[in-house]
This record gives sequence, C-alpha cells and structure tokens, in this order.
Amino acid sequence: MRRLRPLLASVIALAACTSNEKAATSSAGEAGGTLIIPTSGDASDLFPPFVGEAVGRAIQDMVFDRLAEIDTTLTTVGDKTFTPHIARSWTWAPDSLSIAFSIDPRARWHDGKPVLASDIRYTFNVFNDPKVGSPVAPTLTNLDSVTVRDSLTAVVWFKRHTPEQFYDVAYQLVIIPEHVYGSIPVEQLHTSELTRNPIGSGRFRFVKWEAGKRIELIADTANYRGRAKLDRVIFVPSDPATAVAQILNGQADFMEAFLIDQASKLDSNTFARPIVIPLLGHVFLSMNRFAPKSKTTPHPIFSDLRVRRALSMGVDRESMLRNVFGNVGRLAHGPFAMNASYADSSLHAPPFDTVAAKAMLDSSGWRAGADGFRKKNGRPLRFTLTVSSSPTRRRYSVLLQEQFRKLGAQVDINQIDGQPPYLALRAAGDFDAMMDGFSPDPSPSGIKQSWSTSGIGKAGQNALLYSNPKVDAELDSVGTAFTPLMMRQHASRAFRQIIDDAPAIWLYDMVVVNAASRRINVTGMRSDGWWANIADWTIPPDKRIDRDRIGLATPKS
Amino acid sequence: MRRHIVARLGQSLIVIIIVTTISFFVIRTAPGDPFSYTSSTITPAIRDHWRQQFGYDRPIPEQFIRYVGSVARGQLGYSFTRREAVSRALAEAVPRTLLLVGVALSLSVFLGVIVGVLQATRRNSWLDRGSSAVLLTLYSLPDFWAALMISLLFGIWWKVLPANYMVDPSLHDYMRPWDAFVDRVQHLILPVATLTLLTMAAIARYQRSAMLEVLPADYIRTARAKGLSEREIVWRHAFRNALTPMVAILGLLFPALLGGSLFVEKVFSWPGMGLLASEAIGGRDYDLVTATVIIGSVMVVVGNLLADLLHMAIDPRVRE
Repeated sequence: MRRLRPLLASVIALAACTSNEKAATSSAGEAGGTLIIPTSGDASDLFPPFVGEAVGRAIQDMVFDRLAEIDTTLTTVGDKTFTPHIARSWTWAPDSLSIAFSIDPRARWHDGKPVLASDIRYTFNVFNDPKVGSPVAPTLTNLDSVTVRDSLTAVVWFKRHTPEQFYDVAYQLVIIPEHVYGSIPVEQLHTSELTRNPIGSGRFRFVKWEAGKRIELIADTANYRGRAKLDRVIFVPSDPATAVAQILNGQADFMEAFLIDQASKLDSNTFARPIVIPLLGHVFLSMNRFAPKSKTTPHPIFSDLRVRRALSMGVDRESMLRNVFGNVGRLAHGPFAMNASYADSSLHAPPFDTVAAKAMLDSSGWRAGADGFRKKNGRPLRFTLTVSSSPTRRRYSVLLQEQFRKLGAQVDINQIDGQPPYLALRAAGDFDAMMDGFSPDPSPSGIKQSWSTSGIGKAGQNALLYSNPKVDAELDSVGTAFTPLMMRQHASRAFRQIIDDAPAIWLYDMVVVNAASRRINVTGMRSDGWWANIADWTIPPDKRIDRDRIGLATPKS
Repeated sequence: MRRHIVARLGQSLIVIIIVTTISFFVIRTAPGDPFSYTSSTITPAIRDHWRQQFGYDRPIPEQFIRYVGSVARGQLGYSFTRREAVSRALAEAVPRTLLLVGVALSLSVFLGVIVGVLQATRRNSWLDRGSSAVLLTLYSLPDFWAALMISLLFGIWWKVLPANYMVDPSLHDYMRPWDAFVDRVQHLILPVATLTLLTMAAIARYQRSAMLEVLPADYIRTARAKGLSEREIVWRHAFRNALTPMVAILGLLFPALLGGSLFVEKVFSWPGMGLLASEAIGGRDYDLVTATVIIGSVMVVVGNLLADLLHMAIDPRVRE
C-alpha cells in the first residue's frame, strides 16, 4: 500500500491537470444555459466557403453572419423577406444592377476588429475564386464584383437584373474577415489551421473543435445584435442509438431527425418532446432510363415510359407512408417539397391503381407467367433497387419490393453502406433503380441542377440524365419571374411535365421529428435549418440544471 | 543476441513496408475518395477540383511514390475527415489506445495468471471445472458481441456506468479535479472490463496448462520432500517456471488485443486508434487510414519484439 500511495497521488494530480479551472460565474437573468446536441457525424468543414453538410452549416450560421437574413417564409424573390444583419440597410441602383450595402458600424468580429466593406469584397473574391473550389460558387454566377465605396459601404454589382439577385448575395455569401484569412494563399485555405478555428461576427463564438468528439460554441456577449440567450452550445458526434438514449434520459438537449421508429417515445418522455418540421427536400425512387454505367444504351426495362408509369401507379404510396412515418409523414406531390415557396398543391403523382398498372405492363409486352412474374421476350421483369444506409429508405425499399412483387416484378435490394460508395454509384449512373432524394436550398433555381439538361454532367446533380426541352424552358423562366406568382406558375408547368415523364416515383416529402428538451423554449425553426434562430432559444432559470450553470467559462485546451 | 535483434528489426521493417503498401492500394481501390463523403449538394465538378488540388486524380502508383516521399520526410499527410494533420490525430489517439490496451493487458495477465494457477493447483475440483467452463465461454465470445452486451447491460439497461466516450464529452472540462478523475475512471471501466475478460480467459487457460506441465516435475517433488510449504512450492518454484511460455504468448496476445480494441473502441466510442481507423475508412480518409495501419503495424511489431527480448532474458535456452 505504501508503494501505491505515490502512484495514486500522481494519478490524482494528473487528473487535476486535465480538468479546468473553476467555471466562471453563471449568467444571470434570461440568458444562460448549456445546450448539448448529439449529431449524426462530425462537421467536415467550418470555413464558410467549404461548408456543405448540415453540422458544418449549423456551426457556420451560428458563428458567422450574412449581410441580411431571410425569414421563415423562405421567399427568394426580391428583398422584402430579408432583415438586416451585417448590412444595416441597402440601396438599389436605378438600373437594379448594383446594390450598395451599408455595414452596421457596431458589427465586430470576435477578435474585436470592426466589420468593414473590404470584408464583403474579400468574401466574394474567396467564394468566387476557382482555386478555392467553393460549392457555393455555382450559385454566385450572376454576381459580377464587389467594390468598396467607403469603409462601411460595399457595392455588389450584378451581371443581370434577376428576381433572386438579392437572395444570391444575402443568402449565399457568409461574410468572413479579411484581416484573419486574407494572408493565407487561397490554395492553402482548405488545410489551414486558421480555417479550422473560425472567427466570425455571429452571436456565438467558436471555442473548440476536438475532431470526432465535440465542437463547442459560447455566446458572444458583446455582439452587435445582442448576446445569444444561451451560454453555450456543444455538438457531440454520436451514433443514432446513443443519441436517442441520451435524449430520452436527459443527457442531451436537442437532436435533429430523431429515429422515426422511436419518435412515439417522445410523447410521454419526461425530458424531451417532439417537434415536427417539414423540410425542403423530398425522396423518390429513381428509374434509370439508361443501362447501368451507360449514357446511351437504353435500359431494358425503364427506357419504356409505359413501364415507368405502370410502376408508379402500382405502388400504394399512402400505405407505405403510414407504415414508415405513422401520422407525421407527408406524401410527395412531385419533384418538389410542399414546404417550398414554389410548391403547387394541385399537382399530384399518378394515383394508385394496380388494375391500370397491370394492364399497362401487359400492353408494353411484359406478360405474367405461371409463377406470377412477368417476362418480355424471355427477359424477366427483374431489376436491382439500390439504397443507401438510411434506415427510412431501407424500410421503404423493402415495402417497394413487396409492392412490385404484386405487380409481377422481381426486385433485388442492393444495400450500400456508407455515403462514398453510394454517391459513386449514383454519379456513375451504375444502378437500375435507386432510392434517391433532393434537398435544395430555398431557391427554385436548385431544381435545375436535378431536372434540367444543364444539370447533366459534373456541374449538376442530374444523375438520371433526365432531359426535356419543355422542362428546360419552364425552369429557365422560373429564374426570370419577378413575382412569386409567376415563378410558381412556371415551376408548376415544369413539374407537371416531369411528373408526366415519370422518371421517378415520388414517395414522400422529407419531414423530421426533432427532439428538444422540455426545459428549452424553442423559437423560429426554419425548414432550411433548425438552428436559424437558436441564439434566441432560452432556458428559463427555474428549469436550469447543473450543466446550465457552467456559465461562460472556456475549457482548457 | 545483438545479431538476432538486428535481424528481427529488419524483418519488422519489411513487414511494416508490405502492410503499408497493401493498405495504401486497397483503400484506394475501394469506391469513393476523401471528397465523396461530403454533402450531396456539392457538384461533381467541385469534387473533381478538390481531387486535382490534392493530387487524388493522379495514377495510384504516382500517389504512392509521393506518399512514400512524404513519409520519408516525416509527414504523414492531412486528414480530410478531421481537418487536421494526421500526426496530430495520431498523437491524440495512440496514447488513448495504449491506455486502454495497457490497463486491459495488465489486468488480464494479473487475473489470468492467478486463475490459471488456482485451477492447476485444484485440478478436477469444482473450482477448476466451473471456472474452466466460464473461461471457455468467455474465450469463445466474439469481442464485438461481448462489447455490445456489456455496453447494453451496464451502460443502457442498468445505467450503472457510462457506456460511451473516454470522458463526459460536454462537462468533463468544467468538472472539479476529483470529479474529473472519477469521470475518467468510470468511462474506463466498461471497455477495459470487456477486453480484460476476453484476454484473461486465454491467459488463464495457457497458465493452467503450463502449471500442469510443471507441477509433476522432479524438482517440485524434491521441493515437497524438503518440507517446503505448498504456497512456496507453487509460487516460488512451479509458477516461475510456468511463466516462461506465458511471455511468448504475450507477444501473440498484444496484436490480438489491439485488434479487439478496434471493436471495443467502436462500441464504446473510445476515441483511440480503432475508432480513428474505422472512421477514416468510412470517410475514405486515405492518409489517415494508411497512417493508422503503419502505426498499428509498428505497435504489433514492437510488442512482439519486446516479448521476444523478454523471453530471451528469462529463458537461457532461447539465448543459446
């Protein structure tokens, strides 16, 4: 025991070294509290020009600001739905080819330096630099340049007057500080230590990123838009089962996309409650008109429009929706989500009609044999359905397999684990049918990437190689409609044509059941990101627990 | 002896080079690359731009030559899943794995040897039969299954110990020193227990066999005839001689433990080498995958070398 004493003392001392000094005093009044958010993965980037996935976007939007912020309607035409952020006000040029943004003189970066007009110019240059390769760059093609009129006035110049030109600059450009990143060669931004420790002007400031472990933000108490009402937000990458357990036993406070098959537990849980949010995305079953990996050889089954329509009509989408989502699901109407500002509720996917579906298959030469399965010229009606690791989509794939079986089609499910191999198959067109989805930003221009001829190839997302001149024309008109009504009319005509061409079976609009701790007052969730107004979420003093009292202490690095 | 060590080091180097080369090519032939994992909203053109920027569009042999050059200069590359240098990721993960494996190995050897000796000295008793059955069961359990069961039982159903992470991921940094120490120990218990139970079973079985070979030996009979106590006979004479084969087995157990830690780290979200490698493979983080394989091979080779040296040190026959 005598020998053990020094060892024990050393171990205790070691533990003491790794812990932090005393926490700072907890915030008083309305502000205060710690939010712990388990996430399905780590962020892949925190530097706005590179951010692409959800965790990175959430942190980017909390740490950085835009010139102006869109409201919950997500209307992208004009500037009426935007509220000032870094820009205190803005003035349109008479020809509408430029907008002068007046920077709020109170705006400060987290290192205390003022936000300047030159930061807006630097931001545009970085986002737009081909050497950077920002995923946002394709949305900035209408921006010509940014000039500095004076230290607090930046003028954004456009190539054309378009309905969404304000949205293009206000929504897509997340303003970054030139004095922090300007000295880094753009080719090295991706691997620079500075871009991993972002300095922004948002209501939360970045504290720490321990890869695979946690990302921590705290309130910027001197922020020009007012301090965040929470003290601290901690993102913790967790596997879904662990995250669900943590939410249900009160160890975590908020989870996006709670496992749908366990969502009913939230109704009676003492720690957390469900918040159902419709998103802008939708999920569909893609039917490849071309043979796998080919861009010219017709697919032996799906190149026939009658077969695609028959399969669309032969599946009971409503019953599948109820089976998977219970009463929170939303049936897809077509190649858009009903929550989008350009949606048209009068459009509908083909109705469920197995008699008509079977007749259509018969007429296209696919005849049922004695075993109930169909053949045409000796070739069985059999195809592979590729599905990612999403549990919801996997459940759907099994239900679809059974529905197709009743029509006389044999389906082999190809479950792909991991995103890279799934995306590789998708990009190469190496599939017969695929459970696919599309999560656009609020602008209808994103639809072009998936359904227009210009979206084919590496610049777009049109993996199905879908092409229809009528659709192209309507989608082009969507981008030039100056009123929301006109925009919806053009979009609606494009959607009608796509539905008629049946390149896919429209299954469901994306809806997530978020889980939030019952002690948190959640306000202003937006369909394009639950975190949009997180700085105004509060935890009432009488509901605070131990972790809410950490205050504004910073962890030891 | 020196020639033997030099020869072993040479063999070890060849093993590491072969393993590294294989892993380098295998991970690159798998579908996807470091830029495939990112959001589906990123267009293929942007992905191609990034691939070109970081040289992943070059022929694989050219990438290999470049990589070997970097490693020779001491640069293990950049991790795109963690946005940090690979050397930094490894510097954090390796000590965590060594802590887990080190504590588990020490406990397994300690407990395994005691159980093995007790079994051998009470051969065919109820203790021997009962513990043999339990050990055989433990020995037969797949490590990932055992880890899942222990995690479920103690971490989720009974909630007596934390079943995830190395410390409380959100509050550890703000705990008082004693609470932080307790937090660290609590998080260590379940993963260490899993590895210990599985490894201890193997050690106990080897130790029992070794003791059973030694106990009937002439020198033990002589010791008994001299009137030594049974305790002295067992621990001073029989045990020390039965320990020699155990040292050789330690060399084999270390890589097995490292392999087992991969599953255990995954199940318990222990941020060590196993979890790092698993996440790197999932994200096609080429440099990180190859580096974890290099470090894993080095650890196995060094472990084996140490076991060999120890074996030579305690067994004169091997030295000859």
